[in-house]
Amino acid sequence: MKSALEIRDAVRDGKMTALQAVEESLAVIKENDHKIGAFLEVFETEARERAKQIDEDIKKKKDVPRLAGVPIAIKDNILYQGHTASAGSKILENYKAAYNSTVVERLLAAGAIIIGRTNMDEFAMGSSTETSAFQKTRNPHNTDKVPGGSSGGSAAAVAAGMVPVALGSDTGGSIRQPAALCGVVGIKPTYGRVSRYGVIALGSSLDQIGVFGRNVADAALILEVIEGQDEHDATSLQLSETTVAEIMSPNLKGVKIGVPKEYFVDGMDERIRRQIEEAIESMRELEAEIVEISLPLSEYALPTYYIIQPAESSSNMARFDGMRYGTRAKASSLEESYQSARGSGFGREVKRRIMLGNYILSAGYYDAYYKKALAVKTAIFEELQQAFKKVDLIISPTSPSVAWDIGEKFDDPLTMYLADIFTITANLAGIPAISIPCGTVDKLPVGLQIMGPVLGDNKVLEAAAALEKSIGKLEL
Amino acid sequence: MSNIEFDIDKVADLSMLSLSDEERTQLEEQLPSIVAYVSKLHEVDTSNVSPKAYLTQEKNVFRDDVVVRDDQEIEQVIANFPKKTGKALEVPGVFE
Repeated sequence: MKSALEIRDAVRDGKMTALQAVEESLAVIKENDHKIGAFLEVFETEARERAKQIDEDIKKKKDVPRLAGVPIAIKDNILYQGHTASAGSKILENYKAAYNSTVVERLLAAGAIIIGRTNMDEFAMGSSTETSAFQKTRNPHNTDKVPGGSSGGSAAAVAAGMVPVALGSDTGGSIRQPAALCGVVGIKPTYGRVSRYGVIALGSSLDQIGVFGRNVADAALILEVIEGQDEHDATSLQLSETTVAEIMSPNLKGVKIGVPKEYFVDGMDERIRRQIEEAIESMRELEAEIVEISLPLSEYALPTYYIIQPAESSSNMARFDGMRYGTRAKASSLEESYQSARGSGFGREVKRRIMLGNYILSAGYYDAYYKKALAVKTAIFEELQQAFKKVDLIISPTSPSVAWDIGEKFDDPLTMYLADIFTITANLAGIPAISIPCGTVDKLPVGLQIMGPVLGDNKVLEAAAALEKSIGKLEL
Repeated sequence: MSNIEFDIDKVADLSMLSLSDEERTQLEEQLPSIVAYVSKLHEVDTSNVSPKAYLTQEKNVFRDDVVVRDDQEIEQVIANFPKKTGKALEVPGVFE
């Protein structure tokens, strides 16, 4: 499959039609998705119609929009007017989006073609895409393995070459971790860089929409289109510098890269450690300056996250009560109707987090847990601010392990939560972070994470692009 | 872990969730161990930190209160509603 940039250029130069790009994507989906299960729905007819329209416009010499003909998949929690958006949950099985999310609005205006919606952990709660109420998604590198999660469908769709690019959402690692496990690029931008309007919320202070691609430039190309302030999201930021899509950075000369010693702890998979050390060697060859740093609060990131995120998500989940959408449960009282609609509509992990969140927020525990977690989060942010005075970027493995067997961690929540141990800090601090492939262990991809300071998204992308050239791409 | 008090029925009630017996048993076992894990935070001295919910420097954002009408949006909202008569949306009674 061609990259998004190649498709964009070929369509613009008349060497390829948008319809051809769409047909190629649909053909790969048809051939492979019955083995992978990346898509919950493919908008086949509509994608063709839109492609034909774009080709017509180009023929009539109208302006060619900047993503004309580029097929893209969206995670099932991103609203596309008139299309089902179920967030992987039975409670929203038949919910159709009443309006467009800002990211979809911007993609459509840029001429991108939305190919379908991808599988995910229910309400993005999970790290393996197994909590989806609808289907399992398999890792294209080994179909006995999970693709990671929660945006596992988007990661697998890109890894299998079904689409060049896809959108995901990242609350604690839900783009970067599946990108690592599937051997693709995944970026979580700075909190507020991309509007969250029209994404089904998990943890509102942590959620950020981001992009999967088969290379860094493709991810940057899409980010450039979807980013920027939006009147519908009060937390979206005014950007003084937009993303640079076509990054040309031959080396890392003068770039200081911090390696936090706390991220290379005992008990870490030695084979992953070796891959990361090789990547560090490549950075040295690219003339980067490697600096060992210390982030002593790192070990508190995961417990902080598992207070703030359930607290916020239990509040966000309160709107699902079977009144305005979903299935209204027949019951003798209103309260019973709520309880029953929610009890039968939500899966186990969602119930677990709602319960945890409400416990944390209940009288007597609020200060001890929620308020304490906000304080630790702020301390983690300040510690990172200090670190970014000494270094430009910070690196770590993206995931402590490669893709594991389907079913392996499913019934053990704490073990599953540990899958996000390296990615969570970026969400707590609101900083940009990317995962790029950096080798394999047992023929399964390993991801390298590069984090940057607030709004340092271009720095992160530039370093990733330089490094990507030297550590090479994964062969599927 | 034994010092974690977790009244599962009270929390289920606050959460507006009906739980099967099996779910109840499982959650009763899992939730206190998750709470014990996150209690690790109490090791951190935060006496000099003022807790913030949002870390960005942005100020409040205001807009004019103007009605924006999108007919397709209205139709879809009605279509999603579980019970309706024409354009009237049906909800259960709130008062006994």
